[in-house]
Amino acid sequence: MSALSLYQLVALFLLSIGFFGLVWRRTLIGMVISIELMINGAGLAIVAAAQLTPANAVMGQIGTLFVMGLAAAEATLILAIVLIVVKRFKTSQAGEISEMKG
Amino acid sequence: MEILAKLAFALYALVIITGAIMAVASRSLVRALLGLIAVMIGVAGMYLLMAAPFVAFMQILIYVGGVSVLIFFAIMLTKASPDGDESSPNSLRNTLNALVAMLAPGVILSVVILRYPPESFPRPTDVGAFNLGEGMLGMYLLPFELISIILFVAMAGAVLVAWRKWGNK
Repeated sequence: MSALSLYQLVALFLLSIGFFGLVWRRTLIGMVISIELMINGAGLAIVAAAQLTPANAVMGQIGTLFVMGLAAAEATLILAIVLIVVKRFKTSQAGEISEMKG
Repeated sequence: MEILAKLAFALYALVIITGAIMAVASRSLVRALLGLIAVMIGVAGMYLLMAAPFVAFMQILIYVGGVSVLIFFAIMLTKASPDGDESSPNSLRNTLNALVAMLAPGVILSVVILRYPPESFPRPTDVGAFNLGEGMLGMYLLPFELISIILFVAMAGAVLVAWRKWGNK
């Protein structure tokens, strides 16, 4: 098995276990943790494809850095939204937040 | 890959797999966060193994130093219960849905990867931080600036959304 497929398999594992957590978890924070798992897998796949194939390696690494920046921005926004939701509904269980207008 | 690289890869893969299982399956959210941090450190190790040290250090700096602290604050501010927020048993239907969501992409993509293995170099390309800086200020200047605008807008928006007085006005 080539080195690239090994890295791709690890990234795929992160993607699918992130999907599992996203559906299985019932708190909003647990879902955020699963999304971060998936983003880590994406970064790993991008860097592996850039470093181990003839593709442009600089572009791949810079793309991963951008993914990290986007993940940081997304985590900040999600923190703010979760705070608002918890303040309004007094719970962070995703199943109980079903009311549209506060 | 030489034997030492294989050993290092196996170690990082072990860290990633245990961390990921801990992150999705543990009852307590703080333990889940610890699992996530283990995954991030394992992924940083894999970046180092792929001769991308700058990305590896950025991974440690941004994820382990920044994002995990943010998530920890979120756990703290939502008043997570000490015996675990997910301690009540999950319904069977929910578990089945989650298994389908895990297996559908996992099985399809792993079959593709295993049956049609991509061509790969035995050794990674060598790219220094110098090349990355040149790329960021040359060829990829526009996305670089856009990322800073997105970060600014996200931070300002988060402050605005979470401001206490904003909702009561």
